[in-house]
Order: sequence, then C-alpha cells, then structure tokens
Amino acid sequence: MKQLEKELESIKTELINMWELVSAQVSSSRDCLTEFDKDLAREIQVKEKRVNSAELNIDQDCENVFALYSPVAVDLRFLLSILKINSNLERVGDIADGIAKYIIDADVCFKPELLTVTRIMDMFEVGTNMLKITLLGFEREDTVLARSIFKMDEVLDEINSNANANIIEYLKKYPEDLDQALYALSIIRKLERVGDQVKNIAEEIIFYIEAKVIKHRKQE
Amino acid sequence: MESPILNSQNFNAYFGNNHVVKNVSMEIPRNNVVAVMGPSGCGKTTFLRCINRMHELIAGATTSGIIELNEENVYDMHAIYVRQKIGMVFQRPNPFPNLSIYDNTIAGYKLNGIKLSKSEKDGIVESSLKKAALWKEVKDSLHKKGTFLSGGQQQRLCIARAIAMQPEILLLDEPTSALDPISTASIEELLHELKKNFTLVIVTHNMQQAARVSDKTAFFYMGELVEYDDTKQMFTNPTDTRTQNYITGRFS
Amino acid sequence: MKSNINYRINKSLFIKGFIIFLAFLITLPLVSIIYYVAKEGFATINWNFFISVPKPVGEVGGGIANALVGSLILVVVASIIAIPVGIMCGIYLSENGENKLSYYTRLAVDILQGVPSIVVGIVIYFWVVKPTGSFSGLSGSIALSIMMLPIVIRSTEETLKLIPSTLKEAGLALGLPYYKVMIKVILPVGMSGILSGVMLSIARVAGETAPLLFTAFGNPYLNTNIAKPMQSLPLLIFNYATSPYDEWHNLAWGASLILLICILLLNLFTKLLTRRWKVQF
Repeated sequence: MKQLEKELESIKTELINMWELVSAQVSSSRDCLTEFDKDLAREIQVKEKRVNSAELNIDQDCENVFALYSPVAVDLRFLLSILKINSNLERVGDIADGIAKYIIDADVCFKPELLTVTRIMDMFEVGTNMLKITLLGFEREDTVLARSIFKMDEVLDEINSNANANIIEYLKKYPEDLDQALYALSIIRKLERVGDQVKNIAEEIIFYIEAKVIKHRKQE
Repeated sequence: MESPILNSQNFNAYFGNNHVVKNVSMEIPRNNVVAVMGPSGCGKTTFLRCINRMHELIAGATTSGIIELNEENVYDMHAIYVRQKIGMVFQRPNPFPNLSIYDNTIAGYKLNGIKLSKSEKDGIVESSLKKAALWKEVKDSLHKKGTFLSGGQQQRLCIARAIAMQPEILLLDEPTSALDPISTASIEELLHELKKNFTLVIVTHNMQQAARVSDKTAFFYMGELVEYDDTKQMFTNPTDTRTQNYITGRFS
Repeated sequence: MKSNINYRINKSLFIKGFIIFLAFLITLPLVSIIYYVAKEGFATINWNFFISVPKPVGEVGGGIANALVGSLILVVVASIIAIPVGIMCGIYLSENGENKLSYYTRLAVDILQGVPSIVVGIVIYFWVVKPTGSFSGLSGSIALSIMMLPIVIRSTEETLKLIPSTLKEAGLALGLPYYKVMIKVILPVGMSGILSGVMLSIARVAGETAPLLFTAFGNPYLNTNIAKPMQSLPLLIFNYATSPYDEWHNLAWGASLILLICILLLNLFTKLLTRRWKVQF
C-alpha cells in the first residue's frame, strides 16, 4: 500500500476511535441523567479530556499529511472533511460534557414524568442513533446512510420547538420543580445542537465521497 | 539513544579554491531515511559524494573535517572498503550494459573477483532483486541485458546492485530525476521498504519527494547546512526563515 | 510571388538531385576497380595458385603461397606489437585528457599518422635492418606496427571517451579498485569500438608496400622465419607488375584480386564483429 494511503488509513482509524468515544460519552450522559449518577457524570468530564486530546492529535496528523504529501482530489477532500468532522465531534463531546456538568450541579433527581413529557429520552435516542448511522456511513463510504440522518434531525428540531410549551405545561402542574425544568430545557437545547453537529458531519461525508457541497442549500 | 550510524563533524569540501560544503555537522540515525534538499549548486550532492569518498576522484577536490561511520572516520579507512560499506545510486540509471540482469545484481562480487557458489549467487540475486521490488518483473528474464529494462526498472536494478553488497548505508543522488512519475512513485515506495534494512540518505531537488519519503530532512543553502530536523517539523514549522522561504517557494 | 516560390522549389530539387548524383559517383571508382581487377585476375586463380611458390621466368604456372604466408605472418606479428601498446596508450589518453604528457602524446600520434609510409620504412631500415645485418620479416612487422599504432590509439581513445562516466562511477561506487574498473567495466563496454579500430588498422597495413621495401624486402621462396626476408602480397604485386614478363603480370593481377578480396572481407568482418559486440548504453 502506498505511504499516503497508510497515513490516511491511520487517520481514519483515529477518527473512528474518537467517534466511538464521543458516542459513548453521549450514551453515558443519558445514563447519568436517568440514574442521576454523579460519579458517572464526573467520569464523563474526565473522558472529555481524552476527546480533546484525540482532536488535537487528528488535527496534527492532518497537518503533517498536508505538509508532507500534498494530497489532491479525493485524498484532499477526505482530509478536509476529516478536519471538520473532527471539530464537529469535539463539539458533540463538549455537549456530553455540558450535560454531565448539569447533573453534577443539579440538587435533586430528575422526575421521570418530566423526562417523559419533554421527550428528552427520545432526543437521546435519536441523537445517538444519528451518531451511529453517520459513523457507519463514514466507514462504508455510504452516502445513502449519511443522507438518512437529515430526516432524523427533523425529529430533534420538532421536539426542541415543542420543548417550551411542554415545560410550561409541566411547570403549571409542578411549579416547585422550576429548577429541574430549567435544566431539562438546557439539556434539550444542547441535544438539539448534537443534531446540528451530526448533520454537518453527514454533509462532510457527502462532500468527501461525492464532491458535492450541500451545505446551506434549501432542502427540496 | 542509539549512537548514529553516520556522524559528520565540521566537514568541509572544496573544488580547488571553491569552498562548496561549509562546516557541516549532522548525525544520521540508523534505519532512517534522511533527505538532503536545497537549490542547485548548494553542495548537497558534493556532500553526499564525500560520504563514500567519491568526491576525491575529481581532480582538485579536497576535504577537511571528519565523517564517522559507526564512530570510525571514513577518511582513515581505505576508500574501497568505505564504498563497499556505503553503497550509492546515481542520478541516471547506470547498469553495466555488457552484463545481464543477473550479473548486474552481483556485479560487486563478480567484478571484484569474489568467488561465490552458484547457490550463493542465486540467493543474493533473488533476495536483492526482491528487496528492490524488481524480482517479479524480471525473474523470467534474468539473463537478458540490464539495459533492456525501462528507466525505472534500471534504477531499481542499480539499487539491487548496491544492496547486494550488504552496505550499511545507501546514498541516493537524485535517484528519480531522470524517471517518469510512475517509476518515481515506485522508487519512493521502495525507499520505505528499504529503510527496514538500511540507512538511506537521499539527495533531491524535489521538496515534495523529500517530504514524502524521509524521516529527517536537511536543508542546504550555499554550502551550509541551514536546518536539519524531523521532516514533519521541517515542513510544518521550520525554524530558519531561509528554510521557510525555500519550502514555500518564496525563494528569491 | 508564386513564380518566385516555384523557382525556389525547382532550385532545391535540382541541388538535391545533384547531391544524390555526386553521392552515387563516389561508388564508381570502387566498383570500377573491383570490376577491372576481377576481370584481369580471375583467370589466374586456381587451387595451384594458392599452394605453390612462383616459378622462374619462362615456366608456366606458379602461385603466391609465399606471399600469402608472408603477409599473414607480417600482419600477425605487427598486430602483436601494435595492439597492446596502442590500446594501453589509448586508455591513458582517454583517462588523462588534460595533462601535459597526454597533450604531447596526442600530438605525436597525430604527426605519426601523417608520416609517409616510405619514411617509416627507411627509418626502420636504419634502426633494425642495418644493425642486424639483414632484411627480415621482423623489421617489416615493426614498420607495419608503427603504421598501425596511430589508428589503434585514436580509435581506442575516441571509443572510451564516448563511454559515459557514470559507468565508471558505478564501478567505483561498488568498491572496485580503479584498475578493475578499467579492465572489467570500461574495456568490455568499449570492446566493439576498439575492435573496429584494430581491424581497420589491420586492413590498412595489409596493403602497405612502401614500408616493406627496405625491411621485409621480399623472397621468392616460402619462408616462415621472421629473421629472414619475407614476401608479402603488396611486395609481390609491386615486383611482378613492374617486371617485363606477361606470366608475372598475370600473377600480379591474381595477387591483386586476392589482396582486394582479403581487405573487403576484413572490412565486412569488422562490421559484423562490431555489431555483435555492440553495447547499448
């Protein structure tokens, strides 16, 4: 195999490892929300450092490949998309870290009813699925898989846009849970951001494979 | 830290009164590919030819300072011994036109009158050609003349001829400058394989080539060693502004 | 304008035709010589012609065996003297292009090439024939070898100069000592050119008469002793053609034809040999 291919392969592996780490972080943040497990939340914060260092490593490796191999065509698009996916993943990692921080700050356990009414669990479900599917699409270089997540993002948007009404409804019923409700709202906002990041990742995958720029285009 | 295989200390080379390599000190670690780059006439080829004492063959060429191979000054050894320990591949492929591919590969033994049994010869030819990634292409035509091969194959034959002597270091003087891009790519791939067994020093005009193939890069300018560092470092964050200007193509 | 162009096209055609005609003309002397010599000499040639020595005047028959053997010996001995010296001198000149010795050597070789062959014969007469007290085949060979030297030297030098220096470097970089590089790399690669120079020089001296007049002198009997006078084809032709007897004239024609054929064959052989040894860089 050519040296450049070897380098690209190793960067790809690094990125996939980071991807799995970030997915695990998001799953863990869901668990620590349902279990109200502050230890797990702290673990997420520790692992966030690993996400950050993975991001730096990938950046550096990309820089080296750019400098040493002057990649062109598909190799160039691959590296450019890796760079962006890398920073998107890091943001998703930050989001998981942010959720963990709320858990640590929160005083009392979140009521299951609150979680059900606000459909936070659905959001986690959709978010982690989106991460999984895009990863699969990336590994298999499958743009159909990558495109399939745009629909899923709409679910997140919809839940997010109903969130205010749901929270108000809930607060009318349990005005004493104001604290929790605000946290829940913040978590919803953050999870909505996960959808946006993953959508960007999918766009990068399509750019890398098909050389089409679909960013900022109106959905037909 | 393992001691370097090659160590040049305050080395100078001259053509008559012309000082072409100025006070070069650099260490070359074992099993590395070291690229030497720089503009034409910067002394890089001369420096390379000093390492295996080919420089002194030119009338009026002199040197000062030391180059150590395994901590022993090559200028204290016999030149013929040095050249057996330090192989060289030239800019233009130069297989011996009167010899077959087989005989070219073992030319170092054959022409030196070193007696080998048939099986030893076969073994050396096969392993050298395999290391030079040429075996598959020529194994059925070993007794054809070396000059029947294409340019890239001839150059790999020259590499096989050099490594058949089991040198410690292989010097390559712009080995791909006379070759087309495909042959160039195959030679570059070969270098990555060769560094498992040898230490390589490659002179090249071509910065991209230096970047692609080497672990460490030296930048020569006007006979001086301007900068010598890991290739990644050199190409992402060179320390010297002259290096920066050269690799970014801003050289005036 | 158009007529002007036509004029130039026609002029070009005319000149082209003229050049072709001249090139063709060059082959005429050779063809006519071969034709004439063959016509006159062919009748004389039979088996006896090759194996017997000339008969005295008045007797029928007789051949040129003495001259054939003599020429062969003279040329072989001359080659043995001239070829090693010539090749080594050529190697020296090609390897040392710049220094004083090679400058003067080259000058000497050039002048030697221009020395008239008769002068070489006279000098050898005074150097060898006089001191040894008799004409001899050896003195003839020495004279011929002096004629051969410049051709061998210059052709060796020119051939070796054309061999790319990268080949020499390749040998040296493999740790070969200099003398081995010369013997095992440079000489084999240049062999074709050196051989063609050698053959050319042999063809050149095989037909020489003048240097042999005062050295090998000629001998009507078969002689293989190089210390004694020796007959050679050109000498025989010279002596018999200038004689007043018709039988001898016929012998001279026959001998001319044989000499001509030998030299033609030598040239053809050279072409074949060099093609065979030709080394592609």
